[in-house]
Amino acid sequence: MHQRSKKRLSSDKAVAGFLLSEMMISTLIFASISLGLLMGFTALERNYSASSDFALNHADQMRISDYLALDLRRALALQAARNDTTIFIPNYYDASGNPQTPALDGNGGVYYGAAGSSVSIHYYLSGGTIYRQQNNGTPIALAVNVQDFIFDITDQGKVVSTRITFNPTFTSGRASADATAATAFYNVTLLRNTRTDNHVGVY
Amino acid sequence: MRAPAAGTRASILVWTVLTIAILSMLGAEVLRVVSIKHQNALQTATWQEALLAAESGIDLGIIELRKSLYPMPNHAWEGWNNTPADGVVSYGLSTIANAGLAGTPMTVEANVDAPNALIDPSNGWQYYRIRTVGTMPITGPARVTDNKQDSRLRKLSLRWERFTNGVLTPHALNDAPQVCRRAEAIVKPVSSFAQAAMSVGTMDLTNQNIVIDSYDSRDPNKSTNSLYDVTKRQGNGDIATDGNLIEAGNAHIYGDVATNSGTVSGVANITGIERTDFYQEPIPVGAPSWTAINGTVSSVTDTTTLNASATKGSSISRYELSTIALSGNKTLTLAGNVDGSRTYIEIYVTGDISVTGTSQIVLQEGVTATVYFAGNIDVSGNGILNTNNQPSDLQLYGIQPAPNASPHVSLGGNGQIVAAVYAPDHDVSINGGGTSGHVFGSVVGKTITMTGVTNLHYDEALGATGIINNYKIVSWFEDNR
Repeated sequence: MHQRSKKRLSSDKAVAGFLLSEMMISTLIFASISLGLLMGFTALERNYSASSDFALNHADQMRISDYLALDLRRALALQAARNDTTIFIPNYYDASGNPQTPALDGNGGVYYGAAGSSVSIHYYLSGGTIYRQQNNGTPIALAVNVQDFIFDITDQGKVVSTRITFNPTFTSGRASADATAATAFYNVTLLRNTRTDNHVGVY
Repeated sequence: MRAPAAGTRASILVWTVLTIAILSMLGAEVLRVVSIKHQNALQTATWQEALLAAESGIDLGIIELRKSLYPMPNHAWEGWNNTPADGVVSYGLSTIANAGLAGTPMTVEANVDAPNALIDPSNGWQYYRIRTVGTMPITGPARVTDNKQDSRLRKLSLRWERFTNGVLTPHALNDAPQVCRRAEAIVKPVSSFAQAAMSVGTMDLTNQNIVIDSYDSRDPNKSTNSLYDVTKRQGNGDIATDGNLIEAGNAHIYGDVATNSGTVSGVANITGIERTDFYQEPIPVGAPSWTAINGTVSSVTDTTTLNASATKGSSISRYELSTIALSGNKTLTLAGNVDGSRTYIEIYVTGDISVTGTSQIVLQEGVTATVYFAGNIDVSGNGILNTNNQPSDLQLYGIQPAPNASPHVSLGGNGQIVAAVYAPDHDVSINGGGTSGHVFGSVVGKTITMTGVTNLHYDEALGATGIINNYKIVSWFEDNR
């Protein structure tokens, strides 16, 4: 009897569960690891998101800055207002897209195509996106998440400083104010062309 | 405690592998995004550098054009190909490899030509077209960016060369991606008389409360009968110095004032701007190299008449004199046609010009005189009479002297002086007629001193005449097809 009882006890022990303390400890370890993993994944996701946003914004900033600089460098005239500007550039290409022969205007200036003609490039902000529209063509979105863009004309109208402010994308509640502030992108361009300023209200 | 069952151990392995896989995928995605953006930033930087290369080509073209203005031998266009294209002058600069700082593999190509359409019919001045391509190799893989607007803007040559139908030689990619930027600039000649007064060194207007302004003898709205009219005063009476000091003498200046990092003292009023970033190296004037001259007169010491001709540059109205020395009541007449029609005369004085007492040099009506002088000029009293009252009709050019020589120009005594003086190697002093002293024209000197001059009126028409002193960009366009 004693032997049989002992054997059954041994058999029960073989199929018995963990002790409560074992369960608690293992649960604690599992929870700790899971929490760590969760935090790690969350941090990674946030990091990825921040890096991606930063890279995206930076690419947008470079793009809009370079587009503006390209057009400003060859500008004949400029109508600048907050979030809306029109740049007039020489009518360099003919209808086939080939360069035209320059001609003198009789006042020390040079023009391409018909005298007094130019190509207008319109930059404007709409819904946080900066668009570029050439003449009456289809507007092209160049940068998103833009707060505003402004121009400052200096040095007798020969130098244009551009400031483009992008909305903050890193919005963590624990981040510093500097980290969550809007990003301003500056660009200073020397206007190469002799200004014609034959358009109303230009600088 | 018992060891975990075999199934439990496998579960942990799966979890571990899964975790590592997820982390790896996340890391790979981050790496992909970052590498694309890094590549984009790198391509952007290269694209910017390519513009520097293209603009360097424009600078190189302007440098050669400026060199061509110097007296011979000026070594202009050495190393450039001179292959006329489209029937016009054309200079080509083939690839300059490794042109960037520290041997950056930047290449520059340039072409300078002179299209007939760019000849100013009013004075025959040739404008030049400079076309350049700057090229930079792109490091890293030949991969486009993930935003097509970047591609539309920068147009990288990853597989094929962009410019295959231009003036400049197409580039072979040779499996190496690159970025090319092409720019076209038109440069115009700048007159030696582009300002009311310009000195290499100090400019001293003395304490005469001088008024400096401008008019335009070509424009009836800016002059009356081609003469200065104070009621039509213009604001282009610019004065400048390559030095660092302008003693303005309480001047009222209707124009800009510029020094080379210097100061301007005694300015009562400036309508334009005051700058300190002025720099302009005046082109020295070489001795004329005429192949034929009128040899009937070799010097002038007595009353003499030199005849002008209706043909500009004609040998019969070109004189080479050893000196002009007039005293007493002697007169040198530069004679034109009786009807006052336009005639031209050129005089090269290898020595000094001296007009003293009541003697006089008389420029008759209709005559345009260009006088080159190698020595000094001393003109006193009413020593020069410009009958036309047009400063462009009497242009005085000081020849570049021998090293260490310090020649001078002294014009004075008249109530009015009507002339354009370009003598960047001469100390120039103009002595006006006291309170009524007026100078009409333009003055360029090594130093400039004005005494007794109360008014300097710059004729803007001078800006389209005279010898060419520089070239400036009037049109710039980046061809980003």
